[in-house]
This record gives sequence, C-alpha cells and structure tokens, in this order.
Amino acid sequence: MNVISRGVRNALRSPVRSGAIILMLAISVGLVLAMLVARSSVNAKINEVKATTATQITINPAGIQGGVGSGDDLTAEQVKIVAGTAHITGVTSTLTDQLGSTDTNLTPSLTLGSFGKRQQRFETNDGGSGAIQRKMPIPRTSITGTSNPASVVTSDKITSGATIDGDSSDNIALVGTTLAAKNNLSVGSTFTAFGATVTVKGIFSSGNTFQDNGIIMPLASLQTLTQQPGAISSMTATADSSENVAGVVSALKNSLGDKVDITSQQEEAQNSLAPLENIASLALTGVIGAAIAGAVIILLSMVMIVRERRREIGVIKAIGGTNAKVIVQFMTEALTLTIIGGIIGLGIGVAASGPMTRSLVDSNTNTPTTGIAHQAGGIGSARGFTGGFRQVSSQLATNFKTINSTLTPQIFASSVGVILLIAIVGSAIPAWSIARVRPAEVLRTE
Amino acid sequence: MLTVNNLTKTFEAAHGTVHALHDVSFHVETGQFASIIGKSGSGKTTLLSLLGALDTPTSGEILVEDIDISKLSAHKQSAYRARKIGFIFQHYNLIPNLSALENVMLALEFGGMPAYERPDRAAKLLEEVGLTDEEQLRKPTRLSGGQQQRVSIARALANRPSLILADEPTGNLDSVTGKKIFDLLHSLSRSENTTILAVTHDLDIAGKTDRTFTLKDGTMTIGKK
Repeated sequence: MNVISRGVRNALRSPVRSGAIILMLAISVGLVLAMLVARSSVNAKINEVKATTATQITINPAGIQGGVGSGDDLTAEQVKIVAGTAHITGVTSTLTDQLGSTDTNLTPSLTLGSFGKRQQRFETNDGGSGAIQRKMPIPRTSITGTSNPASVVTSDKITSGATIDGDSSDNIALVGTTLAAKNNLSVGSTFTAFGATVTVKGIFSSGNTFQDNGIIMPLASLQTLTQQPGAISSMTATADSSENVAGVVSALKNSLGDKVDITSQQEEAQNSLAPLENIASLALTGVIGAAIAGAVIILLSMVMIVRERRREIGVIKAIGGTNAKVIVQFMTEALTLTIIGGIIGLGIGVAASGPMTRSLVDSNTNTPTTGIAHQAGGIGSARGFTGGFRQVSSQLATNFKTINSTLTPQIFASSVGVILLIAIVGSAIPAWSIARVRPAEVLRTE
Repeated sequence: MLTVNNLTKTFEAAHGTVHALHDVSFHVETGQFASIIGKSGSGKTTLLSLLGALDTPTSGEILVEDIDISKLSAHKQSAYRARKIGFIFQHYNLIPNLSALENVMLALEFGGMPAYERPDRAAKLLEEVGLTDEEQLRKPTRLSGGQQQRVSIARALANRPSLILADEPTGNLDSVTGKKIFDLLHSLSRSENTTILAVTHDLDIAGKTDRTFTLKDGTMTIGKK
C-alpha cells in the first residue's frame, strides 16, 4: 500500500461521514453543471437572436405607422444608398397593397368584425348635399411584394409547394392557408389580381389568422401589377452584427435624411432578451455559489478530519513520514471524496440541467412572454395590414420556448475543472495545517 | 553510539521562560539498554523528543553515530527518524484503519524498502514479537494492549534502527504483560545489537537495564548498575 492508496482508503474510513460529504459535494457539483448548461444554452440563444433578429433595421417612409399615416414610397435610389452603407449585409424591399373585390376573383377568408370595420371605414359626401355617410366596409386581402419572401414567411411555414424567387418578375405567389382554403386554391391553381392571372406556387401557414389571409409575390411582379414601378413601401436592412446596429442607424439617418423613419429592432430585441440575460447572470452566480459551497464543504470536512487525526499525523511524521507524503495522502483523500462526489454530481447535473434550464426560462420569461403575446395580436394585425408578416416580438417569444439545454464537451470539461478546483482549494488549508503539525506533539499527549 | 553534550531546551510560556532541560550530557554505548527515570515534568518527554529529532534543542548537541541530528534539515531529520530511530509509545499509536501487518509495512515504506519486500519483512517481524498470522491481519482495535505494543515494537524494529526510543513502553500494560514486553525489548537489544533508551516510571524495570539516568527538574544525574 502506498501513500495514494492509503489516501483513497482513508476517504472511505468513516462511511457515514464520507457519504454525507459526498452527497453534499454531489449536489454542489450537480448544481454547477446544471447552471453551466443553463448559462451556455441561454447564451447560445441570446447570441442566435442577436445575430438574427437584433441586426435588422426597418426603413419606412416618414409618417407611416401601421397601415395609416402619410409619406411617399421609398425609391430604388434609397435602396442603393442603404445597400452601400457600411456594415449592411443585405436589404429586403417590400411593397404592400390590398386587393379589393374589384381587383381580384378571390374571396377574403376573414370577416371584418367590429375592429376590422373600424379600421376600414371611410367617409364620403353624398351627392354634394354635405351629408356625411359611412360606407359599409368591404373585407380586403393584403398582398405583399418582396425581394426576399423568406423575410416574410420562412420556408418551414410553407405547407405545400415551394417558396418563390423574390427577384422574379413572373406572376407567381404564395397564398395563405385560410385564403387558399376559402378559394379552393392549391399549388398550380391560378387567381386574378389587378387584371392579371397569378399562379399559386406554394401555400403557407404562418399561424396568424390575418397573415394566412394574405398573398406574397415577387417585388417586381407586384410593382408591375399595381402600376407602381420602383415603388417600395418598406425596407429591412440587416447589419453584420448587433454591435454595429446603432452606428448603421445613425449613418442611414444622415444619408437618407428626414424622408424616412428608421427603426431598429435592437432595443426591442434587447428588452426581450433581458430576461434571458438575467438567467445567464443568475446561472453564473449559481455556478460560482455552488463551486464555493463545494469548496467550503470539502475544506471544512478536511479541516475537521485533520484536527481529528492530528495524533495520527504526528505518529506518521515520528516514524519517518515526510510533510509531503502526509500532505499527498490527505490531498488524495480530499480528491477521492471530491471525485466520487463529482461523478455522482455530474449524473445529477445531467439529469437536472434540462428541467432546471426550462424552469429558469419559464420563471423568468413569463411576464415578457405575456406582453409579447399581446403585441402579436395588436401591433401584429396593424403591421399585417401593411403586409409585414414578420414580428420580432412573437418570434422572440417562440425563441424563449425553444431553448435546448445541451451538455457540450466544453461544459463537461469546465465542470471537471471546477471539481478539481474545489478539491485543490478544499485541501490547501488542511495541507498547510498538516505541515504545521509537529511530530513532538504525539509524545506530549502521551 | 549516542552522545548528548550540554543539551538545553527552553520554552517561552505566558509566565516566563521554562527550562525543560538544562545542560544535559550523557553517553550510551551501542547495544546498551538504558533507562531514564524521573517524575512528571522532569523533562523526560522533552529529552525523548530531542533524541528522536521530533524537536530542536535550544543549545547543545546530540550525536548519533557521530552525526549531530539537531543540525539536520527537516527532510534529513525525517529520513533519520525513518531509518535510524524506532519509536515505541506508551499508547502504542498504531494507525487505526491499518492492520497490524500494514502498520509495520508503513514504517518499511518510509524506510525506503521496495513494496514487494515489505509484506514478508513485516510478517517476519510480527512473528518474532509473537503475533500469529491471523492476528497480523487484525486492526489495532481488535488486538489486546500487549498485542498492540508488540506491533508497535515490530514497527520500531522494521528498518533495523540503531536507536530505539521507548516512552513508557509498559506503562499501559498489566504487570505480567509489561514484564513480557520488557523481556522482549531486552532480548531484541541483545540479538539485534540495538541501543534502547526507555523512559519509565517503573523502578523495577529501570533496575534491570544496563544504565539508568535520572532526570530532576531538567537536570540529569547518571547512575550505573
């Protein structure tokens, strides 16, 4: 038996005490691992959102808000300026319009309801009598021309057929699922719009009732059909990173002047991400706290063990054991307890990391999610009126629910590192204490 | 073999300086069995600590085979304790979670013996001090006081030390067992030509040793048989 095997054997010398120490360490290590997984998963989601949603900048004609307001269409020249701005990686141009009953053979799938009627009513003078009448509103179908259909409806929302090329000038379209059902449309069917025949290339289901009553076409096709060559009602520019969004917005404001309203989704995304950042921060605190707790557990345990075995240490030194040998023996003992606790803890961590991450996300994102849901129903419908289907808030709300906790090799390595750190910190002071035990003490207590 | 010259040890205590040993000098020849007697507080344990390199003297020298052990580095003192000294304690001081055999093997490990040689050597020593094979595998708590002291003696002899320091080796044993242990030590000092210095209260035992030293208030008087 050598010094290492003695240390390992001593670790299990008192089964009840060793069991209690191992259990406490296991909980501590399990918590470290679960918190590391939670932090890593949440950070991955934050980075994903920042790299996608938080990099988008919306440029609208000045004065437009939702489906109402004033302002002139954006121009191709402005698109060029935006595309040429530093840190812009892509620009999506959109033209939105509506199909009234005389513009199409389609029947809208929506009934207006009191809210829709209020939005669509308008006033007119009746025969110059001065009397103002309110005409009965007619449900309309929104139609969106875009240079990038994926920015409006992603490919995973297409339930049949395929997406369309935003740069095409053909009369082709993606049709919302309820509108298609209402008009018995399927892939390959045709319908009329602004006097032209349009072929259905795909059916999409966005999950939003208003959006699913809409049509998406290539930008150039809609511009031609509506006789608005070059007209753009909205642009979405994408910055190369969320860090550059503020600078890009500033540069665009300088170059485009007051003819446009420029808004970025950075702030909205930032606000929406705040709960996730809180979770990441909380998880980091948890990691540090659990690691400290683990180190304190092993430290106090080893201090207690060393105090209890002072005489034994004195005897070992008296019969020729060096300080180094005794310290190695006790450090092995601490390391054995920590490793056993660590292995059990890793098992606990693997089992608990998923539920813990979900619990943290759920408990920290309940309020924002509720708010976002409200926005999706309110603002979403107004934006949908102008043809913009994509909604940052609802996307983030969905994102929160799709955080997957993953135990990566890096996290595993970090956990093992924390375990070793716990063992080293936990046995450093006892080692110092061992070195101070004078072998003469063994005779003084005789 | 063992020469102590003008050994002094003082401690700083709250009430002032304590002179545990004052100008102690004596000499023990190789193979002699010497005893130190004295009342409690006379400095016996302090002297044993200094001779075993467990503590350092305030002044004076301790020559073991012409080497002043008090001048050795901590590491060399450990090696000295492992190879040149054997300790026998009144309360045996065996490691409780190791068997009798493993306790002896522990001393052999510190003495630098290769691992594969240790079990045979330890078993042989334990057999010599009277432990059966079955008893050798028992942990100290399952051995009687006399058996534990025999294990302690075997451990002290493990590395064939030139000096064995025994602190009240029979103090915790009944008279019959105590006599047997003393006889064992005596025969070992003869057969192994090992110098033994034993601290004892028992004047009968002291009377049977080759030399007797008396400590009183830290000062030594030398008696001869």
